[in-house]
Amino acid sequence: MSDIPEPEEFRAEARRWLAGTAERRAARQDWGSGDDSVAVFENWTETEERAHTDRIRDWERTRYDQGWGALDWPPEYGGRELPSYYEQLYRTEEAAFDVPRRTEVFPVTQQLVAPAIRIWGTDEQKARWLRPMLRTDELACQLFSETEAGSDLAAVRTRAVREGDGWRLRGHKVWTSGARVATWGVAVCRTDPDVPKHAGITVFLVRMDAPGVTVRPIRQMTGGSSFNEVYLDDVFVPDADRLGPVGQGWRVTLTVLAAERLDSGSLGLDNADRALHLARRLPRPLTGGERQQAADLFVRTLVQRLIGLRVTAAVAAGREPGAEASVGKLHATATMRATTDLVQQLLGPRLAADTGEWGTFAWTEHLLGAPGYRIAGGSDEIQRTILAERVLGLPKEPKGAVS
Amino acid sequence: MNRLDVDPAVLLESEERRQLRTVLRDLFAESCGPEEVRKQVESARGHDQALWARLAGEIGVHGLALPEEYGGGGYTFAELAVALEEAGRVLCPAPLLSTVVLAGHALLGSGDRRACERWLPGIASGAVTATVAGFVQAADVTAERGPDGWVLRGEADFVPDGEGADLLLVVARAPDGERLFACEPVPPHGTHGSTCDRTARRVLDPTRRQALVRFRGTPAEPVGEPGQVSGIVDAVLGAGRVALAAEHVGGSAHALDATLEYVSQRTQFGRAIGSFQAVKHRLADLLVELEGARSASAYASACLAEWTPELPVAASAAAVACTGAYRLATTEYVQLHGGIGFTWEHPAHLYVRRARADEALFGTADDHRLRLAGLLGLTGTSG
Repeated sequence: MSDIPEPEEFRAEARRWLAGTAERRAARQDWGSGDDSVAVFENWTETEERAHTDRIRDWERTRYDQGWGALDWPPEYGGRELPSYYEQLYRTEEAAFDVPRRTEVFPVTQQLVAPAIRIWGTDEQKARWLRPMLRTDELACQLFSETEAGSDLAAVRTRAVREGDGWRLRGHKVWTSGARVATWGVAVCRTDPDVPKHAGITVFLVRMDAPGVTVRPIRQMTGGSSFNEVYLDDVFVPDADRLGPVGQGWRVTLTVLAAERLDSGSLGLDNADRALHLARRLPRPLTGGERQQAADLFVRTLVQRLIGLRVTAAVAAGREPGAEASVGKLHATATMRATTDLVQQLLGPRLAADTGEWGTFAWTEHLLGAPGYRIAGGSDEIQRTILAERVLGLPKEPKGAVS
Repeated sequence: MNRLDVDPAVLLESEERRQLRTVLRDLFAESCGPEEVRKQVESARGHDQALWARLAGEIGVHGLALPEEYGGGGYTFAELAVALEEAGRVLCPAPLLSTVVLAGHALLGSGDRRACERWLPGIASGAVTATVAGFVQAADVTAERGPDGWVLRGEADFVPDGEGADLLLVVARAPDGERLFACEPVPPHGTHGSTCDRTARRVLDPTRRQALVRFRGTPAEPVGEPGQVSGIVDAVLGAGRVALAAEHVGGSAHALDATLEYVSQRTQFGRAIGSFQAVKHRLADLLVELEGARSASAYASACLAEWTPELPVAASAAAVACTGAYRLATTEYVQLHGGIGFTWEHPAHLYVRRARADEALFGTADDHRLRLAGLLGLTGTSG
């Protein structure tokens, strides 16, 4: 289309708008002072989480209202119908400005749930949900995993039973981030226990303030809480809030999961950059082995960025990205581990005991948080199986005794 | 400095490069399969001269990255990288790396128009094979002015394709400092009366020959000006590293493809071994490494094509990513083929040999990590 600006023109336009709307991020001269958090998962009380969410939401609304949100959505949803990689172009520019860092519930709402509603929702649902979600007036969390359904998500046991013009939901969901601030939960439920497990699933959007919904924080190994368990005790959901056909919920779920896998390309890069900066600024000369270890982490970050750019380039050229689009998450979790390893070597005892020095003990948040990403959003093992079967075309694992 | 400002489009294979790749893959399939490679390396010259001529003449591979004024095609290194990747995929023993990349860039880097006019057209047409000495491994060669012009004395070891090359570009100590010299030792094989003895070394990788070259008053001509050597050496090593990275991507991709094919048809315990998770996950990890290597190689080729200031970092990063991937790919190539992969007859060991021998050429992955740490200041402070 003729009204699509050239990428360079678009970036310049974005820079101009950002300059008039946000503060430029201070250059890295503040090493040694200011915020030294490298937390992978935030550790906030409910009050703090709400305050942060409000701040992010203010910025997202500003973007949306001034034509810089929902870039790849059609005008009827407040977007500009630009190719999807323009969002990445915009983010490259935004990174130079001091805007609130989005917590997980934001990309979940805007990049995972809203597109799934666009694909699977009725016209009424699209009209009701899409604009508020893209503007983040409504926030959605994922009610997916259960204690007995982790990697094998299709084994969910949360039941949804028909009742009048709606459904009665009963079950227990775990590892939901943003449940305390979300207004909607996307719940994967079993509606038919008598058919093969993938066929008996239906997806619902549940009001998080509905009677019977209870949110309890999970304390993770960092000591803080970023996730929740959500109890659904006979929660009533009108049929109008069912997403996709009855029994087709597995396909709806896969739509969300696929988007999640592709959204992990830049994971871990900020902290890796910070660890490299530590390698530059450490007040002693690095040994040969430490230099090699730091350089290796640099190569990992460079390669991770290049893989992301290849995906962007393929999409921009109208090609289907190849294998490069699927390796991102495994690469990212390895980057996070390598970051921990380097910092461990550089800080030595100051990572084990808090001396109060800036930018030292704070790294324990990374060390303890990084393992979470190897499990969340499809564990490393699940990622490998997906790569082997779907990208490399290797034969599927024979079904186990229970299926 | 961790920001990466590169046009994503340069990382994407253009339609032109894709076509070049198809043409080369067909040609190599027809004339450089595993059987042919073994025959070629046992021949006197160590490669197939008919194939060499077709690559240079029919397809124009040799001249791809050379300027048109010297008989080249006027494309960029990014196109040559496609050819190197495909050559690396089949372990083509032709001396492309030594002739086109190393000697070609030594001549171009010297800025010596007369030398370029004299030799580059021959390199582009495939008429001349060439190599460099004293660039990769330090050599002990001196140059002195004799009654009939300059002569070289001393020796250079580990010279790639040193036994057969028509033209040698040698870094030698002249009275006014280090300088680049060109010599054409005739006859080529150290016959009686020759002033240049060339002894083929027994090598780990038979598809890439090396030689000890002894200069005993060998006539030579200076190339470029005195004081230029370090710049020329940098250019040659930079080009060599990026070229090798492209070859490694090709070799790694072959190892992955061949292994996938094997584990999909080999059955044990009543199922294809590729259906076992222990096998699958190893190949998934290899794919992650390979895609990383492919990305780093594409970036380094783009930097070399434009001689951007990022080239030194990009070249070493590609060396780290690509030697790492090639090591893993060749290890898995043998391991996942089981017993058959350990036999002499199976080509897997040729790839192991190539991967390991290449690491000695322009530095191991650890050498490049140290170099990167220096370039990027990842060294801590003095306190």
